[in-house]
Amino acid sequence: MTKVANAQPRPRFVPGQPDMWAFVLFEALVFTGYFIVYIIRRTQSPDLFLQSQAHLDLRVGVFNTLVLLASSWSVARCVQAARERSFRAALTNAFLTMLFGFLFLVSKVLEWATEIEEGFGFTTNEFFSFYYFLTAIHFLHLLIGFVVLAIGIYQLWSPARRSQEMIETCATYWHTIDFLWVLIFALLYVMR
Amino acid sequence: MRRTDGELILLWMLPALAIIWLAVFLLFPGFVQPMSPTMSAEEVAAFYRDPENLPRIRYSMIVFNWFSVGLIPLLALIVMQIRRMAHRTPIFSYSIIACAAGGPTIFLLANLFWLLAAFRPERDPELTLLLNDLAWVTFASQVGFLIAQSVILALAIYLDRQARPVFEPWVAHFNLLVAAAMVPASFVGLAMEGPIAWDGLLTFWVRNIAVGLWIAVMGVVLGQAIYRQRDAEGVAA
Amino acid sequence: MSASATGALPEEPPGSLLHRIAWHWRYDPKRELWIAWWTMLVFYQLFGLLFFVVTRTQPPPQPWWEPTRVAQWFDDHHYGLLIGFAFVFIISGMTALMNALIAYSMRRMSVSRAFAYSYLVIYALSTLPGMLLLGIALTVGAMRPDRDPELIRWIYDFAFMTFDGTMGVFLVGSLVWMVAILLDENRVLPKWFAYLSLCNALTEVVVAPAWIFKSGVFAWNGAISYWLNVGVFVTYTTVFLTLLRRMILREDFGTGPLPDLSTDEAPEPSGSVRAAG
Repeated sequence: MTKVANAQPRPRFVPGQPDMWAFVLFEALVFTGYFIVYIIRRTQSPDLFLQSQAHLDLRVGVFNTLVLLASSWSVARCVQAARERSFRAALTNAFLTMLFGFLFLVSKVLEWATEIEEGFGFTTNEFFSFYYFLTAIHFLHLLIGFVVLAIGIYQLWSPARRSQEMIETCATYWHTIDFLWVLIFALLYVMR
Repeated sequence: MRRTDGELILLWMLPALAIIWLAVFLLFPGFVQPMSPTMSAEEVAAFYRDPENLPRIRYSMIVFNWFSVGLIPLLALIVMQIRRMAHRTPIFSYSIIACAAGGPTIFLLANLFWLLAAFRPERDPELTLLLNDLAWVTFASQVGFLIAQSVILALAIYLDRQARPVFEPWVAHFNLLVAAAMVPASFVGLAMEGPIAWDGLLTFWVRNIAVGLWIAVMGVVLGQAIYRQRDAEGVAA
Repeated sequence: MSASATGALPEEPPGSLLHRIAWHWRYDPKRELWIAWWTMLVFYQLFGLLFFVVTRTQPPPQPWWEPTRVAQWFDDHHYGLLIGFAFVFIISGMTALMNALIAYSMRRMSVSRAFAYSYLVIYALSTLPGMLLLGIALTVGAMRPDRDPELIRWIYDFAFMTFDGTMGVFLVGSLVWMVAILLDENRVLPKWFAYLSLCNALTEVVVAPAWIFKSGVFAWNGAISYWLNVGVFVTYTTVFLTLLRRMILREDFGTGPLPDLSTDEAPEPSGSVRAAG
């Protein structure tokens, strides 16, 4: 039976599976939709949003952003190391990425707990509905990111696997969640 | 050789089930003379509060509850027979599995509403009326999966082109007739009286007799098919 | 049984539409798949028509209305609701064939049959909260216009919340399909579609706030919980209709990878002919 070649040589326009890029594009579109709705609602009640924003701690936001940027850096180093076939370094960087991701998670949960304790919950006002919604949906993507990283680590572990394309695909996903976070940070914390 | 152990047990569950269902059907006071949608809230509440009716309602519905999913083994046996048909794909057997998952569940829902109505008959009559409405409308109008399983079975039989088809063509025609008989019942919301109302000729009598006939006829032809299959395989073994 | 055991189809004769359909009924080895696919296409068209035009229950009305306003809505929609949902009930069984086709796509994959069966049962069950309960509730609501408006509003809530708020079932189903596609080595469906399924699943999660908010963007008819979600869903449905059609065209009834559509040579019969079932 003609074996349909999976590893056909084809021009590589993008790192990783092109399919993952399709997903990135689509998710970006959906998030853009959310952001547009946010911006429209914000222009309709600017005072409410401005006042509510003051209750967010900018330092925590900056910390979160730096942590995720660091994780993007480490995942990029992981890809680079894998390309150079130094897989131990790649694995180390992958675990480092996970660590940064975990740091972000803990920080986010603590931030939510603090806000709730101060009396700002999901239903407090429209700004906070958006705040919890956007950060929660991002959180969900981050959790998926852990699954993706785990797949990457699984690939890197055994010499029998180690598909470069797979690792790049995982990295692509991770960069996307970082990118989305930066946008969310800008909208929720910075844009006043 | 395909494993057919136990199919006879499942098959003979069917007459037992049919007898129980018939008994329960007669027990529930709202079926033999079907309750009318035109009954007011007070009349419906009185029906549920009547000490002669209440135990009969509860016990009949409890038993219906247990056996509402009793049709699923019959559908599963039909799926096994469809698998013996000369088809290229398992599309039809999958479809019947889907009908088996959907259909009896809906019947269970109607059953649930009746039980709820009977649970606190002393509540506000408007609420009892609402629960009674929900039960009756669910019971009467949810014919979608019944229609689908008959139409799909008919299609499967028509496309079963082999020397000795599993079911004779008349079974397919019969199924199409049954499907057609159920269609008017979906329009139950449009009338409070007359043949389409939930106590009417078409929606209640024709539909339920069609279901009963379907169970009886399919039970028999299924039994014949299973016994024929066992004979053929007995000879081979 | 038909001698054409492979995907190599004898030439379809020219002629009127009816003539060609009759030919396919008699000779096309993929007719079961096409029956299922056309059922899917027709169902979605009817669904759109019945929900958006006849019953006008989509887009959903406002969650924050007072009971008397809700009773008014029922009055305005009286016949649309009763007739429209009658037809919805009649066609609801078409979903069985549709889900069978999607389950079949998983069966054709190199993954365990468990995926196909899981999906089949999940989606068969999902017609209940996803479509039928709405119909039952609104039919009951429309049948007695003189009911207490508070009760009418309860029915209204019941109907729309069960329709818009029970996305969990569809979420799990989408994930099952997604995992199957990602693991599949037979290239039945493209990997990007698996990621699209994930997108779809995530937008279904986003409907959850509809249980909390009665107005605004997170309400059952809000910009985020409804419109964005519907936009993604419509895209998703159009995409998988197209992909399933391609799958049927590519089908060679083998067990290995599905050939691509654009190959010139006729697909070889792969392995022995698999008996149905």
